[in-house]
Amino acid sequence: MNSQIAPGETLLEVKNISLSFGGVKALQDISFDILKGEVRAIIGPNGAGKSSMLNVINGFYHPQQGEVWFDGKLRTQMKPHEVAKLGIARTFQNIALFKGMSTLDNLMTGRMIKMKTNLFWQALWKGPAEKEEQEHRERVEHIIEFLKIQSIRKTPVGRLPYGMQKRVELGRALAAESKLLLLDEPMAGMNLEEKEDMCRFVLDVNDEFGTTIALIEHDMGVVMDISDRVVVLDYGEKLADGTPDEVRKNQAVIDAYLGVSHES
Amino acid sequence: MSPEFLYTIEVILNGLMAGIMYSLVALGFVLIFKASGIFNYAQGVMALFAALTLVGFQSGQIPFSHLINVMFGTEYHHWGEGMNNFLAIVLTILVMIAFAWLVEKLVLKHLVNQAPIILFMATIGLAFFMEGFGDLMWGANIKTLDVGIPSGGSFWWEDVTRTWATEGSEYYGMYIDVLDVWATGIAVALVIVLMLFSQFTKTGRALRAVADDHQAALTVGISLRTIWVIVWSIAGIVALVAGIMWGSKSGVQFSLSLIALKALPVLILGGFTSIPGAIIGGLIIGVGEKLFEFWVGPLIGGATENWFAYVLALFFLMFRPQGLFGEKIIERV
Repeated sequence: MNSQIAPGETLLEVKNISLSFGGVKALQDISFDILKGEVRAIIGPNGAGKSSMLNVINGFYHPQQGEVWFDGKLRTQMKPHEVAKLGIARTFQNIALFKGMSTLDNLMTGRMIKMKTNLFWQALWKGPAEKEEQEHRERVEHIIEFLKIQSIRKTPVGRLPYGMQKRVELGRALAAESKLLLLDEPMAGMNLEEKEDMCRFVLDVNDEFGTTIALIEHDMGVVMDISDRVVVLDYGEKLADGTPDEVRKNQAVIDAYLGVSHES
Repeated sequence: MSPEFLYTIEVILNGLMAGIMYSLVALGFVLIFKASGIFNYAQGVMALFAALTLVGFQSGQIPFSHLINVMFGTEYHHWGEGMNNFLAIVLTILVMIAFAWLVEKLVLKHLVNQAPIILFMATIGLAFFMEGFGDLMWGANIKTLDVGIPSGGSFWWEDVTRTWATEGSEYYGMYIDVLDVWATGIAVALVIVLMLFSQFTKTGRALRAVADDHQAALTVGISLRTIWVIVWSIAGIVALVAGIMWGSKSGVQFSLSLIALKALPVLILGGFTSIPGAIIGGLIIGVGEKLFEFWVGPLIGGATENWFAYVLALFFLMFRPQGLFGEKIIERV
């Protein structure tokens, strides 16, 4: 799974993606790329197709047309769990955690794809399986420390407040040590303080682990602050693509967000 | 101690051990329900099929021998002496795993994302198919199953309890079937192994993950279909254990598949999603129906064991529909 891609080169590229559900065109001819090591934001009004795009990358949806290139290879139609094994992790807009499990177990489950021992050794819980558990446990503890969630290690996540659940979900995605991290509205529904924390974590993950991040976000301030490049979708079409400054000045984007005056 | 008191204890003990048998069947239901939201109507038939297969291997029966004989006019029934218990059990486990794999390949795979009622209907179909298939494969006659578990009343226990009774009273000691004691021990061991497996191994964690959230499980790289095969295999092994216990007790016969119906009130009591619930629900039903028969039965002409469990379940449905341990059903507005 060693990648030959250097920072700054294309890690993921989507080409001419079109996706429709019956008559509804969710995505129309969308192309953009994500460079290794960058923070890439996908923005757009409600119903613009942002989450659909993430679901295409992640394998939940299969587009009718278009190609997805990852890590220098054209990806054939894949199921989400296969995509996860390629090295793409994600979080969800409406939190999908294992609610009955503790924070620790959630993160350990996040490392699933890194674990190699077979059922036989697991059943004995000896030899390779025992060693493996301990190794992975160490990595997970490191992430717990990084996200400052030591105090809730053993708490079933269903009992945690919303902001904390979001953080655990990020932790679980981090645990996979994937090449690309997809965050679907990581700050949705958070208060200012929680948002600031989350921003810092996203930037730190990007800095310290060198993880490439693609995120969907509604809070424009946040997007402009933390992302390197922004792609703007509206009604399933691509409106603009560029640095935050370029996007901010783009007339089409301004129209989509503020509405167009039809008088002139 | 007065004889009446000792009788009551005897009834309770027997109820507990009958309850464990119900729990074993209910356990198989809970495992599959948790992992895939499917109420597997075929669980009872799986126990029957497993027991049939085990007897077949033990006695060296040739599968489909009746069919072969009818079609080709031959007279094959057995090959040699059969095999020893251990080998037969291992082979039966392999058959149950193969069965799980086939169910996934032929049924579940094609019904992904369908409504639970459709999957439920599919398992009803599966139950009927397996009953017929088991008949065709091993024959419909009642078979005795003996895997070397001791059975019969315990004389030692009778002697011990006789000394507890008040001097001079006519008490002959408690009757406890050794088989029931063994069944209890084996069931407890099975549950402990399952618990340890699900708590401390990677695959166990994956099972719990799938039970919690399918979508999230997929994104961390868990293949739902692999997990389903594993869960159905485990349910198949649990069914084998239940089949061995029930089969040793009352012979391997096709009415065995009806024990699945007794598991239903157990599940309503314990909750469909709770393993401890399945165990305790089974115990309550077991003790409840024996005590009811003992106390109330004589007053209303007996045979209350046939319906008591269902009436109890009905009351539970009225006052606590999620069961004792099930997840509370909360609709957020």
